[in-house]
Amino acid sequence: MASAPRPERVPRLLAGCLPPYPPPPPTVGLLSMEQEETYLELYLDQCAAQDDLAPPRSPLFNPVVPYGMYILNASNPDTAFNSNPEVKETSGDFSSVDLSFLPDEVTQENKDQPVISSRHETEENSESQSLQSRLPSLSEQDIGLGLNSSSLSNSHSQLHPGDSDSVQPSPEKPNSDSLSLASITPMTPMTPVSECCGIVPQLQNIVSTVNLACKLDLKKIALHAKNAEYNPKRFAAVIMRIREPRTTALIFSSGKMVCTGAKSEEQSRLAARKYARVVQKLGFPARFLDFKIQNMVGSCDVRFPIRLEGLVLTHQQFSSYEPELFPGLIYRMVKPRIVLLIFVSGKVVLTGAKERSEIYEAFENIYPILKGFKKA
Amino acid sequence: MAYQLYRNTTLGNSLQESLDELIQGSLNTYRFCDNVWTFVLNDVEFREVTELIKVDKVKIVACDGKNTGSNTTE
Repeated sequence: MASAPRPERVPRLLAGCLPPYPPPPPTVGLLSMEQEETYLELYLDQCAAQDDLAPPRSPLFNPVVPYGMYILNASNPDTAFNSNPEVKETSGDFSSVDLSFLPDEVTQENKDQPVISSRHETEENSESQSLQSRLPSLSEQDIGLGLNSSSLSNSHSQLHPGDSDSVQPSPEKPNSDSLSLASITPMTPMTPVSECCGIVPQLQNIVSTVNLACKLDLKKIALHAKNAEYNPKRFAAVIMRIREPRTTALIFSSGKMVCTGAKSEEQSRLAARKYARVVQKLGFPARFLDFKIQNMVGSCDVRFPIRLEGLVLTHQQFSSYEPELFPGLIYRMVKPRIVLLIFVSGKVVLTGAKERSEIYEAFENIYPILKGFKKA
Repeated sequence: MAYQLYRNTTLGNSLQESLDELIQGSLNTYRFCDNVWTFVLNDVEFREVTELIKVDKVKIVACDGKNTGSNTTE
């Protein structure tokens, strides 16, 4: 019944450039396609073993392109090689690379399967080309690629200023100079270490939603799926749970689903995919549209007691503290828009974030304030 | 009614009680539909003062015990 340990995915290209934070959950680095597929098989088989159901054969989940690579192609080609961790103008997804490497659908029902597969194939080809071309000299081509998103499939021609395809031919040269500077002086990474303390808030809960894009028969799901509850008199959704990642999902008849309880963005996505797979195996044409993280909760400990009364006096426009109602001070930070629960013990809960960086930023902001209200 | 609302909010921040039971070892699956609970447990010991019965798999089907409730074990 206990799940077999997932194979450790050492992100080879990241090895030696690990960020100074608690390591993210075992995630995929930039493995080769064959390795990705092997891991996919292992992962799916383990899931199937857990679920006691046949392994999936749906085209929806065919790993035409490993998800991580697909995302790379679509958005930030210059961040393909995280061996240069300083150059991190990435979206939140790259703080730890995605474990669910299954292709995602980003548009509505109009997108047909063949369209998606062909798109994946072309991107797969250009990606593998550009991957090989990029391997030898990272730093130059890294930035060069970042400037010329259109010339993904060109290898060394990108750096020629006279290249008509290039979006910005002129800044290439000076940028390669500034790039060498950039590689020496690290830019602020996505998740900066607090300069005053080594305390990093830990994520405790992620709430996300996804649209399965088909009407669901909740009774059928409740009767056939394992670990499901359905009490329509009380709540109009099926409550399903899975062991790994340990999460709970609320599945509605409209096809929309809420996934809660995961400890990281990737786990939340992976869990949502597993639920979608369960629904799919029951015979519904489930898809995976518009996955979005709605809320992230983090917590940490500043390790000193705090004078909440003092804090509410000086920051009254942000704080509310009613010890008779609730023992914690509720601090509503404006930028980023995060709510913090601050307790006398020094424990802090941060919530309301859509991105991990907002949690970190909010804690960065509050820590000096809290230090000012340390109990003598 | 209050209980119902409370239940809805705790869903989002659920204690994963059922899963805790899973982790602790016995509960294989659970189901609740049409006001009927179905549990499947593994490696169960039924202990009475005099007797001890060990069993690999137990299926418990439980209904509401208002007037006519029934518990059957296979």
